[in-house]
Amino acid sequence: MQPVFRYTHLDTPIHRLHPLVKLAYVALTLVLVMYPIRPTDMPVLLIWLGLSAILWSVARIELRRFATLFKILLGTFLFLIIIQGFTYRFGHTPLITFGHLRLWEADLGIITKEGVWFGIVLSVRVLAAASSLPLFVMTTSTSEIMTAMDKLRIPNTATFMFVSALSFTTLIFEMWGSIVEAQKLRAFDIDRMNIFQRAFKAYIPIITPLILLLFRKANDFQIAMETKGFGAPIKPTEIEVLSVHWSDYLWLAFIVAVFILCTIVKFF
Amino acid sequence: MDNHILVNLQNVTFTYEGDVVALSNLNLTVKKGEFVVVLGANGAGKSTLCYLISGIVPHIYGGRRRGDVQVSDIDPWDEPLYDTAQRCGLLMQDPEVQLFMPTIKAELAFGPANLGVARDEIAQRTKAALELVRLSGLEERNPRDLSGGQKQRAALASVLTMKPQILVLDEPTSQLDPLGRWEVGEAIEDLKHKGDLAIIMTTHETEEILHLADQVLVLDRGNTVLQGTPAQVFSQVEQLDNAGIKTPAMIRAQIKFFSVPISVKTPPQLKTNLTVTELADQIEAAVKDEKLKVNLSLSQNQPQPHKPSSITESILEARGLTVTFPGPPTVTALQNVQLTIHQGEFIGIIGQNGSGKSTLVKSFVGLLRPQKGEVLFKGQSIHNLSVGEIARRIGLVLQNPDYQLFTSSCRDEVRFGLKNLGIPDAEIPQLIEESLGLVGLKAEADLFPFRLSFGDRRKLAVAATIALNPEVLIMDEPTTAQDHRGRYQLADLALELHEEKGSTIIMITHDVDLIARYAQRLIVLHAGQILLDGPAEEVFIQIEELKKSFVIPPFATQLAMHLESLGIPPTIMTLEQLFNYFSFLPEAE
Repeated sequence: MQPVFRYTHLDTPIHRLHPLVKLAYVALTLVLVMYPIRPTDMPVLLIWLGLSAILWSVARIELRRFATLFKILLGTFLFLIIIQGFTYRFGHTPLITFGHLRLWEADLGIITKEGVWFGIVLSVRVLAAASSLPLFVMTTSTSEIMTAMDKLRIPNTATFMFVSALSFTTLIFEMWGSIVEAQKLRAFDIDRMNIFQRAFKAYIPIITPLILLLFRKANDFQIAMETKGFGAPIKPTEIEVLSVHWSDYLWLAFIVAVFILCTIVKFF
Repeated sequence: MDNHILVNLQNVTFTYEGDVVALSNLNLTVKKGEFVVVLGANGAGKSTLCYLISGIVPHIYGGRRRGDVQVSDIDPWDEPLYDTAQRCGLLMQDPEVQLFMPTIKAELAFGPANLGVARDEIAQRTKAALELVRLSGLEERNPRDLSGGQKQRAALASVLTMKPQILVLDEPTSQLDPLGRWEVGEAIEDLKHKGDLAIIMTTHETEEILHLADQVLVLDRGNTVLQGTPAQVFSQVEQLDNAGIKTPAMIRAQIKFFSVPISVKTPPQLKTNLTVTELADQIEAAVKDEKLKVNLSLSQNQPQPHKPSSITESILEARGLTVTFPGPPTVTALQNVQLTIHQGEFIGIIGQNGSGKSTLVKSFVGLLRPQKGEVLFKGQSIHNLSVGEIARRIGLVLQNPDYQLFTSSCRDEVRFGLKNLGIPDAEIPQLIEESLGLVGLKAEADLFPFRLSFGDRRKLAVAATIALNPEVLIMDEPTTAQDHRGRYQLADLALELHEEKGSTIIMITHDVDLIARYAQRLIVLHAGQILLDGPAEEVFIQIEELKKSFVIPPFATQLAMHLESLGIPPTIMTLEQLFNYFSFLPEAE
């Protein structure tokens, strides 16, 4: 089984794009989603999601990866929509009424239309934020990331920690699946437990072996890295030569233009 | 230090923190171009030796050392690891943890780039290393997409780009299938023939290194048991047995057939680079010269370990089983597999990694749901059974025991499954005692599982499974990364359950010599389909079919096939069976 959001070597304009331009896209996404949120922000978020969709499709990333991202976030979306549905303080149009339980300005017995809408807006904001980093990771090789970070004067060790964390997510993903299978063989089926059972007892037989295995793998990983000279007090050779092309400027201009458009739509 | 001596260890004793003596009074000298093989059971100190030479101790694992260690003119103890790494490269067992970059090219460049080597030089080293390990053209591939053998060769290439003078290989083939082992073996053989490096390799696979080794060192619990040329060392069958080392079948055959004098001091006339054909020719010549006598009647009274089991009712059945994994690319792991397993059979499943072996047994226990077809347990669909009901009926012991161990004692580890099944508390202690007793871990019942050796952790996983009293016991590659003695202990345990409890046993393994001794029926999987299925002795003579799956028959079968002209049946699977067809001179006995 392979992790969904790993780097795939393809020759597309997004893969060829300078990593700093892609980092700029990630950074602008974060700035955009940090703007104070209002129920009327949906057009802004949709414009930015549209930009993300363009970047994903030009990068020829399969739709199933986006579907996986959506699936991972689905629980969060439902949580946001339900919580906001019940608690949104400006909600006044009842959608479903369970009873009446007033708490300050909200009636916790009613799911309101405005609350559900605000939950949806928040969910789209989460989706917009969450779709930027996978695009960067899936289209930028580790060597490019390291070189780009070096250009930003980020210490080599910090960069490598980030890169190896990416590599470790693959291992964690695989180990998690294997441990769940191993415990099922002893009649321990986490998949059939409810959320409370999982929270209180189910994760111990899964997380304990995972942690113990990760310690061991981390040791081997450290050996593999250090026996290849990692940590030597020498400036590492830059393997990737990052040159800036006119297309990088064009993409950067396009991304910045969309960002400005979103800012204008939001504030004016 | 002599110019040609690259590794020199004098009276080295190493003790890990916690006073565990891992190596004791070790002496070892390795010259440029020399290939040294280190043998020993799990826990013998092989990896510690690798770590001492490559500087992993004390820089990553701490401990106390006595004696002198010189590695290419430096003592790794006194130098930073990146300095030792430029002289001594280390290849570990598990290729997965050694490959962390997104492409092979980046992986190979990682080491020299850390040392500030010029970009052009890195490109040259990368090209040369890839040619040597025969991975040219795969520079842009993600290492995770490669086969096991390719991954380990990529890891080897990434060590070679550091331009070491010494190469330390810590069981580099132990986690690979026969094809992977052959591929890595070829690369190592090429390196040995180039003669630029001193190579130190630890292994359990004595057959693979027999023709390569210049010097063999045998360790037993940190002590040097034997040291010398392969002929000197492998002639000491009894001492090798005591140390848990497999004597290569080629050597055992020579000792038996030609009554080779056994002495370390006088070099024996054992030949370590004989082929099976050459050995067969020598046996035929000995028979012709009446130095050996074929006695076909003698064989009649010998026990036949592979009697086909009488037909019993079906216990497990795969009907048109097709399992695919979504890609990209989509992988069809099993394709329309039809298979019936009868109650009380002892079945071996062999085949390359990726041939569908693990997918098949995971389908048997309901861990995978087939896209087409179904699995029946005694006529009932496995997917109609709950996880607990399956666990009571079919036990699967996975390759890596560490995926399941999480409690603070071996006793609790066994208790976990029993509690999940709702076994009454009053019955549990007895079941725990019984299952721990069966695997020989009664004395360790209160120990923390991770304090056990890898072999014992695997036995604990078996105990936790058999405590549930399943009717079918499946062992998924119990021989991987296991020493010779441990392999046979697990196989003996399976045999005991088979004979005493009538359990149905299914064992997946790459060890053909082992499975030939135990399995009545052999299934060979290839590309998700059953290539061969039948009595083990009949399957192993289908040489051409087996080649498709890179399976080589047991040594004894190969030799017997070459001796057909003497009336020896080709269906022989063990050397003991073969010896029974010959009368030996009294002094040879």
